[in-house]
Amino acid sequence: MRKILLGTTAVVGAALLAPSIAAAQEAPTVRIGGFFRAYYGNTQQSARNSTSPSGLATNTAGATGNLAQQGSGTTVIGTNSTESAGHTARLDKNDFSTDAEVHVFVNGKTANGLSYGAVIEIAFNQQEGRNIVQQRASTGKTTASIDEYYAFIASPTFGQIRFGDEDGPVGGLMNSGVITNFGTGGVYGDRESFVTRQGNDRTTTSPGGLGDNTKIIYLSPQFFGFDFGASFAFNYGVGEDTGCSSNQSSGWCDSSYAFTGASNFGVAAAGPEMSVRRNEYQGALRWRGSLAGVGLSVTGGYVGSGAAKELSPITNTQRSVFQPLGVWQVGAQATAYGLTVGAQYEHGTSNFFWGNPMKGDRPMDQFFAGASYTVGPFTIGGNYVMQTVEGASRTSYGYTGGVLTATPNPAGAGLMRRLGYGIGGNYRLAPGLDIVAEYSSYTVAERGRDLDPSNPGVQDRSTAKVFILGTRLAF
Amino acid sequence: MKPFLAAIALMLPLLAACGDANQRLVNNDEYGDWRNGRARNRPQGASAGLVVFGVDKDREAREAAAAGTGLSVNAYLWRATLDTLSFMPLASADPFGGTIITDWYTPPGSGGERFRAQAYVLGRQLRSDGVRVQVFRQSLDRGQWVDSPVSTATNSEMEDKVLARARELRSQSAAR
Repeated sequence: MRKILLGTTAVVGAALLAPSIAAAQEAPTVRIGGFFRAYYGNTQQSARNSTSPSGLATNTAGATGNLAQQGSGTTVIGTNSTESAGHTARLDKNDFSTDAEVHVFVNGKTANGLSYGAVIEIAFNQQEGRNIVQQRASTGKTTASIDEYYAFIASPTFGQIRFGDEDGPVGGLMNSGVITNFGTGGVYGDRESFVTRQGNDRTTTSPGGLGDNTKIIYLSPQFFGFDFGASFAFNYGVGEDTGCSSNQSSGWCDSSYAFTGASNFGVAAAGPEMSVRRNEYQGALRWRGSLAGVGLSVTGGYVGSGAAKELSPITNTQRSVFQPLGVWQVGAQATAYGLTVGAQYEHGTSNFFWGNPMKGDRPMDQFFAGASYTVGPFTIGGNYVMQTVEGASRTSYGYTGGVLTATPNPAGAGLMRRLGYGIGGNYRLAPGLDIVAEYSSYTVAERGRDLDPSNPGVQDRSTAKVFILGTRLAF
Repeated sequence: MKPFLAAIALMLPLLAACGDANQRLVNNDEYGDWRNGRARNRPQGASAGLVVFGVDKDREAREAAAAGTGLSVNAYLWRATLDTLSFMPLASADPFGGTIITDWYTPPGSGGERFRAQAYVLGRQLRSDGVRVQVFRQSLDRGQWVDSPVSTATNSEMEDKVLARARELRSQSAAR
């Protein structure tokens, strides 16, 4: 598969480079764009306050070594899913949230009509929390990082190739029916800025959540209303380096195809782009046109990938513990007189975060629907998402004397249901300047599973409701 | 599954190359944007953001449209040609094509001959070869107007006058 995809792109690339139509050469321009936004948020979330005592927030004098972030928050490779109990705290419902990105666009055109350029998107939300290494050595939450960056070449005859850290055709570029053009995006909007991670209330399977890992993407020209895209990525890693964090090969290395602790990385780790996803390929076919004045867009697509294997540290044996990722997607939307309605359905092997599910886990089903209406400077809309997916996995893995042991989940396999909706609107004060208001709710439910372990009893349902009021400036 | 996808991956780029009139390049702003990285309500793709290096052709086009001159030829040459030929009655003037055609004109005290002129402003640049003037002459011969030659210097003298006037206009506007 990989060879074929690479071969295809090589053929297309060769064709792109051949002289086609004569057109004026344009010297490259460099442009700066981006956005700034500031929101007030009111959050009502179950499990937001923890009552089980754990460690203290450590900000003690005289620290010379690394400060523990949480009660038992030592970082151990391969324990991604093991979150420490957390401090005892009560969280206010109210907060402000700011964010910005600065984008650099380079665009040029060669004498034979080939467009080329690069996009570099600089974000300032690299870390969700402060990273206090030592008492006077820390990085704040607003550390700069790269959201996406890629280069492209495009020809009217043979389409476009993007190469770099960028969404794929299924993972954001060519979807239809995912209506998020109101408020901050409704259930796929900026609500995550206000929601804490208990019960995974803030994790959604939005198209963009599939990830902008480094990939090569082919996007075709549109012909008879159709265009299509395909992409390939070797792994889930981004950026320049190997990802290996020490002089030992480990699971942190982007290209590791078997490592100890792999079974903990079906869900991508927050922050470092790390997951067991390997050899990811995407393909999407889209049709756009209009019938009787109604603008239509329909997309079908598929994303698949393999997974890294577990590697026993002593016996050095590999074992496959994940299913391949494989999700079909179909979506459609219609637009007329400012009204847009759309829906999307997805089915396939995936966990709740676009990750490889464990062997034996049930497939994921997701339905999304949304509508928006634009009149003058106002846009209002709403969207809804419903997902059923494997809950607590049927099997957990560990090592006994270097031998991988599979332990069936004693609680039994549960069906996790995830339901969310958002309604919102924005008012355009000036081109690029919006006032936004939005209300959204997201619920995770799984019978018999405690989604709030830091509070007494079993809470098998967790909900986060967020109201957002704020402004957003694009430039 | 995989062979099927592989076949699609191989076929579709080749199919794409077959379209002609029904084929176009998909612009960068027609692809989704899932981190809200894109500035809403602003130009996208090659027109996104503010130019910090290079020539902003979009801005040049916008400003030309906003200026609303409606001229596709050099404004100084156009104005200067109109001024220079204003002693003759105007038959037609096309600022897009850059042509000015006068009607027949008989100079006072010279009832036996009449003149007509055609002027072409040739481009957007203010250049000495940017204007061409052709003068026609007819003389009265037994009650009939018949074509008669014009001295070859006349055309270039008219052009010189236009250029001189254009230079004047240019220096006037530069002084403002």
